[in-house]
Amino acid sequence: MQQPQNAPAIPGLQSGKKALLVFFETDCPTCQLALPYLNALKQGSIQVIGLSQDDERTTREFVSQLKISYPVELDSGLKISRAYDPHNVPTFYLLDESGQVQQTLVGFDKQGLNELAEALGQLPIAPADDGAPAWKPGCSSRHLEPEAQDTEQGKAQEYGVKMLRRTGDPATHITLRDDEDPFEYCRQKFGDALPVIPPTVEKVEAMVKASGLAPETVIARVPPFYGEATVEKIAANAVMAGCEPEMMRVLLPLLRAACDERFNIHGVQATTHFAAPLVMINGPVRKELKFWSKQNVFSNVARANSSLGRAFQLVLLNIGGGRPDGIDMSALGNPGKFSFCIAENEEENPWEPFHVTRGLKREQSAVSLFAAEPPRGVSEHTAPAGKTVLETISFALATVWSYRTCLMPEAIVILCPEHVKTIHRDGFTKEQARQFLFENTGIPVRHYSKEERAEGTQLAANYKEITVRGEKCYQKFRSPEAISIFVAGGTAGKFSAVIGSWSTGPAGSQMVTYPIADK
Amino acid sequence: MPLTIVHPGNESVPKAATPPARLKSLAGKKIGLLDISKPGGSFFLDRLEEILRTKHGVADVLRTKKPTFSKNAPPQIIEQLRAMDAVVEGLAD
Repeated sequence: MQQPQNAPAIPGLQSGKKALLVFFETDCPTCQLALPYLNALKQGSIQVIGLSQDDERTTREFVSQLKISYPVELDSGLKISRAYDPHNVPTFYLLDESGQVQQTLVGFDKQGLNELAEALGQLPIAPADDGAPAWKPGCSSRHLEPEAQDTEQGKAQEYGVKMLRRTGDPATHITLRDDEDPFEYCRQKFGDALPVIPPTVEKVEAMVKASGLAPETVIARVPPFYGEATVEKIAANAVMAGCEPEMMRVLLPLLRAACDERFNIHGVQATTHFAAPLVMINGPVRKELKFWSKQNVFSNVARANSSLGRAFQLVLLNIGGGRPDGIDMSALGNPGKFSFCIAENEEENPWEPFHVTRGLKREQSAVSLFAAEPPRGVSEHTAPAGKTVLETISFALATVWSYRTCLMPEAIVILCPEHVKTIHRDGFTKEQARQFLFENTGIPVRHYSKEERAEGTQLAANYKEITVRGEKCYQKFRSPEAISIFVAGGTAGKFSAVIGSWSTGPAGSQMVTYPIADK
Repeated sequence: MPLTIVHPGNESVPKAATPPARLKSLAGKKIGLLDISKPGGSFFLDRLEEILRTKHGVADVLRTKKPTFSKNAPPQIIEQLRAMDAVVEGLAD
């Protein structure tokens, strides 16, 4: 695109400098997400100018709440918008020294923002793992809205909600009466039905300090109420859960992962299903913070696992508002809602660890999240062959979600050290073990009857027929990738476990893995 | 000594919305029906649409559907429904 014909002068634009223009609306969530990223661009040799399609009052509010540090101008009468004619907001225009458009970027797109930064000779500005999605479409540009055709200026809808700001308000301090039992007060107001440690100012400050961030930094907005999870409020919940201050290093990326739109914690929190977020820890952080990966891995065995899982749940309750006696409508619930955090027993895993399969380096610490049913045990103590052990596990895999339901569910197989040793000894690679489980998990077609209208039957026309152990079956999973393998547990006892999913894919919850910063 | 704690919860107060006045009659009104995409929702909403059209003389019925029950309705659907006089959301299972 060349410079638009008859484009009105852009206020504040100096000729002879490269410039980045961004058109935005104050009430567009994608604009609220995208515009603060440009604060990281170093000005001087270049100019960054925001062009608001809304009135002065809402624009001032936008700049103040989101702490925009570059000049923002009003596009009065939407004249500049009409000249540049972006279809959506935000739209970014990179102009060369003579004002010619060199590049255009539409919507929020981390890779695109980093490419713009590179074109301006600067470092990347949009980190991959800050909890924001890689890409998010924007809204229709104000000048294309029918009601904007004959108005002088766009008018933002007033929804009465806070913008997606990066800095929140300081938490209120509550001074308890002398005769008030602080443990009882906190249990009643902010607990998970068990007593919590009162989050005193001193304890919370120590926790905040360990994070290395300012207390009012917003880490995530936690559904279903989209409460602002500031470092300070997360720290208060971490104190209540019994975390050591060092745990902030894991808790912050965990919350970013949970609020990643792919994980869909909103749905996970509000569903009538059993789902609870299962936290899986990998890498050097396991030893550094004493995460447990051996016997009783799902139990009350280690402070790190129990307190991190509990802190996470307390944040979901207190900041997100997903109370189990309220908006969390799970029919039966999940014991994992007290705490559901395991670490991989990488030392007993003969294959690559889980986070490496998920695309990270072995020496990188990582946290993964899966919307999980409670674990169901698989005992296999007599079969001598690894193949038979996998077959036994495939029978348990057939039952996840509901026995006759195929294609939609996913599952995590928690292999105990004794089982994985046998399977590995018999020559299976991790990929081959997964492929075997995929090919051998089937539901016999004779178990389906249209008349009974049992769950899973209505979609059988979409299922793939395979032969398992000589019998015609529907294949349980849509792909080998729907099955994940995680090694954990003690070295005695041939007990593995299968964990089913909630609704999966883009319409449900997708597993997410986030790196944890090095020590 | 009194103990001071840090509020660990969400302190933002959502702005309460005022519900619109109840319709005195459905005649001549535009009614939106939102299917949340759960199996069975269409049976209920099909019947409701029939009743609205044949017995209540509504001006129009707008049928909308969320792409998935597990997530919020996208803004485009909310915008469509904003133009209606009343909306019925069909939950199912």
